[in-house]
Amino acid sequence: MSDGKRTQDSMIGNGPVGVGSVVSVPAAPGVERRQRPRPKISSTPPAPPPAPRLDDYAPIIGQPELDDLRFLAQQLRGKTVKMVNSTAVGGGVAEILNRLVPLMNELEVVTKWEVITGGNDFFEVTKGFHNALHGGEYAVTQAVKDIFLSYTEQNRQRMEFSEDVFVMHDPQPAALIRSKRSDRGRWVWRCHIDLSNPNPEVWGFLRPFVDQYDAAVFSSPAFSRQLACPQYLFYPCIDPLSEKNKDLEESMVQKVCDDFGIDRSRPVVTQISRFDRLKDPVGVIQAYKLARKYVDCQLVLAGGGATDDPEGAAVLQEVMEEADDDPDIIILNLPAWSAIEINALQRASTLIIQKSLKEGFGLTVTEGLWKGKPVIAGAVGGIPTQVIHKLTGVLVHSVEGCAYQIRYLLTHPDYAAQLGRNGREHVKENFLMTTSVKRWLLLLQILLGTTKPHPPEEGQH
Amino acid sequence: MATAEMMGVPRRQARAPFYFQSAAHLIRIGREKASNLGELLEALKVCPDESIFQHTFQTLREHHFIREGFSNDFAHWAFAACNEVGLAERLAGIDVREFMSIAALRQRLVDIVESYLQQNPRARDRAALEPFYFSASEVIVIPTPFVARDLAEFSDGVRHVSLTSIHFHFIDARLRLKLDTNDFSLWLEHELDLGRLADRINRIDIYTSTLHDVRRAILRFVQSALG
Repeated sequence: MSDGKRTQDSMIGNGPVGVGSVVSVPAAPGVERRQRPRPKISSTPPAPPPAPRLDDYAPIIGQPELDDLRFLAQQLRGKTVKMVNSTAVGGGVAEILNRLVPLMNELEVVTKWEVITGGNDFFEVTKGFHNALHGGEYAVTQAVKDIFLSYTEQNRQRMEFSEDVFVMHDPQPAALIRSKRSDRGRWVWRCHIDLSNPNPEVWGFLRPFVDQYDAAVFSSPAFSRQLACPQYLFYPCIDPLSEKNKDLEESMVQKVCDDFGIDRSRPVVTQISRFDRLKDPVGVIQAYKLARKYVDCQLVLAGGGATDDPEGAAVLQEVMEEADDDPDIIILNLPAWSAIEINALQRASTLIIQKSLKEGFGLTVTEGLWKGKPVIAGAVGGIPTQVIHKLTGVLVHSVEGCAYQIRYLLTHPDYAAQLGRNGREHVKENFLMTTSVKRWLLLLQILLGTTKPHPPEEGQH
Repeated sequence: MATAEMMGVPRRQARAPFYFQSAAHLIRIGREKASNLGELLEALKVCPDESIFQHTFQTLREHHFIREGFSNDFAHWAFAACNEVGLAERLAGIDVREFMSIAALRQRLVDIVESYLQQNPRARDRAALEPFYFSASEVIVIPTPFVARDLAEFSDGVRHVSLTSIHFHFIDARLRLKLDTNDFSLWLEHELDLGRLADRINRIDIYTSTLHDVRRAILRFVQSALG
């Protein structure tokens, strides 16, 4: 490719387009372009590693924290919990349950995970609900109601409801509350999505079900609604022992950088996210260009979504155009199973950027903070909960602001390092899987009455 | 440190042991929400005690790793969402350890916001960048395996318990004790007759130290007493 035309044809990869492909910008005619090595990512997902045991977390959170978990679980021993969602693989909820359920069982709080079933028509309806609860348009016709309720009914017939606590994740299984009995079982609705501005028709249909729950759990106060039941705040969390977050050997970090042609002797500024306009990858390149007038750095934009999503492909094209032959902009379109590579890229970075224009919670921010990196992030969604401006990272509202912070942090490494240290502590305290386990144990205790919360002004000495 | 007080300290047995405890916190989303300072003032007057506790005492634990620049959620919001630096400074100046009741702390918060709005009436209805969502902390007290019968065992406990336990005994304690002290100092003074050590520990500044620093300072003072 030497005609200067920037298309996806210019991807260099070792497999199908989009599988570990480096999207590289061809040089203008007559300009020699540096050849990047080909990445080596499998074209198929690897087998998942075994789930960690509770003791594996001790070096990270400390033995006293594990002792607290065991104490809280003791009072729940013999109690049973059923978690229900709509998919066993893929998606954030399944990822969380894959880790949460084994840990609860290891703590002898018997926890089952069941997945509701439904035809394509059911999942089309629930996808419509999902988008509408984020504020999109959707018409709740009688046919829509019938589809939702008939599959709910089928699942009710198929499933048993004999546990002490039932946790329904998101709207898909919400109407299973119809199986609630007055004499047994406490029901929790765990809503992972942003309900701050729901489509009134869809929320009007779902709300009578939600109001029957004994408690609701949201990821942010801003995502919640006024409900009849008490509402609790469970921040989304990351697993420090997952492939994406576990410690890596330096040699692995170096190997990934070598594979992708990243020069670690120079600063590396990275944004990890899907090629999605709401993540503003074009704005990140503009900020990088402004910063580059004063500081030397490379920019890595790594993510997925350009292969299976037509809009992603269009955004990738815009990104390539904005990159404009800059050999220091490294654009990586990675498959979904690139956890180790993402981990290594984050660890190799001098700064992490998440310049989102709209965001849910922003777990890529959590991941960057956990790796002790100074983070520059858009002040949207759940990001300010994680990035406390100038304390655990810096918040920006514009391309210019982002550019300034890149310059400032690259030229003030001690301050940047302090932000990174604070950020990691913030994640350790509030956004790790073990903290989530603790929150579940507390909620179960409160719901089952095995303990009573302690007013702050009362207590034993 | 007074020599008489320190004589025989390593072997001195406490009249009653110190049981180290910890606490677990679940955050309940509150009903109150403020989109401007006027709404904050009204909500401060009526929110549950657990909300005042969450946004002052508890948030210090959640952000224990920050050595400077973070005091409580109200101050942070006044600064970051309302851009009211003068108010933020006054709210940040509140030292929770001066308060032995939630009611008194609530009144101080109300007084500060009220007086600021009297001086700056236009700030009352100015929309904040982000609303302030009140939440409340539900606390469950958890025992730990650490018990101290003398100063050496006390030192061992302080070294090994979680930071949540340090926060529970050192910062939250005032609300339970209704005294201008903390669990550690009270025990050292009453059970081991170590009033000066108790006082030294009580004067550790939590607003310029992380909880790790607090733990280190306590251990340093105790080690010096043990010789």
